[in-house]
Amino acid sequence: MNRPRKPLPSLLSILGYPFTVFFTIYSFLQIGFNLEDFKTNLQNRKIVTDPLFNPKWSWAFENAAQALIETIQIAILASILGCFIALPLSFYASKATNQSTFSYSIYKSFLNFIRTIPDLFWAMLFTVAVGLGPFAGVLALVMFSVAIMGKLLSETIDSIDLGPLEAAKASGAKHNQAVFTSALPQILPNFTAYFLYIFELCIRASVILGLVGAGGVGRIIETQRIFLRFDRITPIIVLILIAVIAIEQFSVWLRRKIL
Amino acid sequence: MKIPEQPLGPKILRYSITTLIVFASIWSASGLEITPERFLTAPTKIWQLVSQLFPLDLSSEAINRIVPKVGESLFIAWAGTVIGAIFSFPISFLAANNVSINFVSRITKQVLNVIRAFPELILAFVFLPITGLGPLTGTLAVGIHSIGTLGKLSSEVIEGINPGPLESIKSSGGSKINELLFGVVPQIMPTVTSYWLYRFEINLRASAVLGVVGAGGVGAELINQLRFRDFPRAGTVLVVTILMVLTVDTISAAIRRRIIKGREIKI
Repeated sequence: MNRPRKPLPSLLSILGYPFTVFFTIYSFLQIGFNLEDFKTNLQNRKIVTDPLFNPKWSWAFENAAQALIETIQIAILASILGCFIALPLSFYASKATNQSTFSYSIYKSFLNFIRTIPDLFWAMLFTVAVGLGPFAGVLALVMFSVAIMGKLLSETIDSIDLGPLEAAKASGAKHNQAVFTSALPQILPNFTAYFLYIFELCIRASVILGLVGAGGVGRIIETQRIFLRFDRITPIIVLILIAVIAIEQFSVWLRRKIL
Repeated sequence: MKIPEQPLGPKILRYSITTLIVFASIWSASGLEITPERFLTAPTKIWQLVSQLFPLDLSSEAINRIVPKVGESLFIAWAGTVIGAIFSFPISFLAANNVSINFVSRITKQVLNVIRAFPELILAFVFLPITGLGPLTGTLAVGIHSIGTLGKLSSEVIEGINPGPLESIKSSGGSKINELLFGVVPQIMPTVTSYWLYRFEINLRASAVLGVVGAGGVGAELINQLRFRDFPRAGTVLVVTILMVLTVDTISAAIRRRIIKGREIKI
């Protein structure tokens, strides 16, 4: 039987596989994994593990509850502001609703630029600009939500049905009116789903904002961490986990209810 | 012409959601003592900081210090992703309910959920006293978090495969291992590899901030320069980081697109 010949490996795999292997080995060498050091260090684990598994519950309830509420407030405010700022931006950053290629590329690269800066870097910059405290955290998470919502929503707008838009224009609507009446309703369900998703991400991100002084429960974690009081950190982490899981469940329930 | 009235149910839902959003933001803003004036004065303050970042500190001393740190973040992210990929691959088979036993799949999924719930930074400072200040701690933190996320994503890919090839392998006498190796793996590989690359992009951002707790990478450099108010140098750190992230994102997105689309083969 004459079998068809197997195609030759592509250029990507010829170059890609050796490069990947080489880069992996080089990375592991660079991060300096040393088994001997690791073994000696492992004997220090009691500093962490003993207090970690002997949590002091009463201390956490007295001191961390207020900060945990602050964390949740930061996440609520930032995700609401961020998503509503991103809503008009993503219409400009989509080819389907922005007719000018020039302004489209400007909005698109603006959103890409925001996305390259990690959330904690924003927090550091804002603590310097507007001072320590939760306001810096809110601003940082606003940038974070604008970046994610902008990307997700503008890609959704790219794939909308253009028929209703054309119909609105045929009946005499201006471009903005057409977008408002026939593109916006198409993406509102997605917007709600993304909003809830971003809210979850913000809750997770807001926990660590305090490490750089941007408010929330991270502030307490940071001070206790410096003194190696892991017995006080464990209950805080458990409280955070409970809050995060509860909020996630609520948002899953709400998503199912709305959509 | 009489326009039919809108049904009442969705209307009530819409109004109650609007009030919920308004009240939630008012409650949060008042709890955090944030007033509209602060939002109005913020742009000028931010502009002041941004104007101090330029001109960048491009002296060779600064560059020689910052570029290796940015490189370290890159290595942490890659090594962490490799750890995540290697460990999550077998775990995802255990977690997928169509190739695993129901009981095992449920337990594995819960374990993955718990792993995912810890942010990288929290993992990092728990490891810090054991693995020491340095990139190893960051790599472990990134790697373990990636096991959780990649395990979940890959198991969902496995759950969505076409069962046809598995059946034909079974009917031609293949064992369970043959089924997984020749039925499942070829089907999931393109999507799973693209998820690995996608995770690498996310890990790059995560590893950049790990330096804040001393777990290696560029984060320590940024926070120190900002604390010492050496703004031009902080600006250099930011610009170098942004350039690196943009480059990696572009390359990785191109490779992902190529993996998903496949190669054109001429016959």
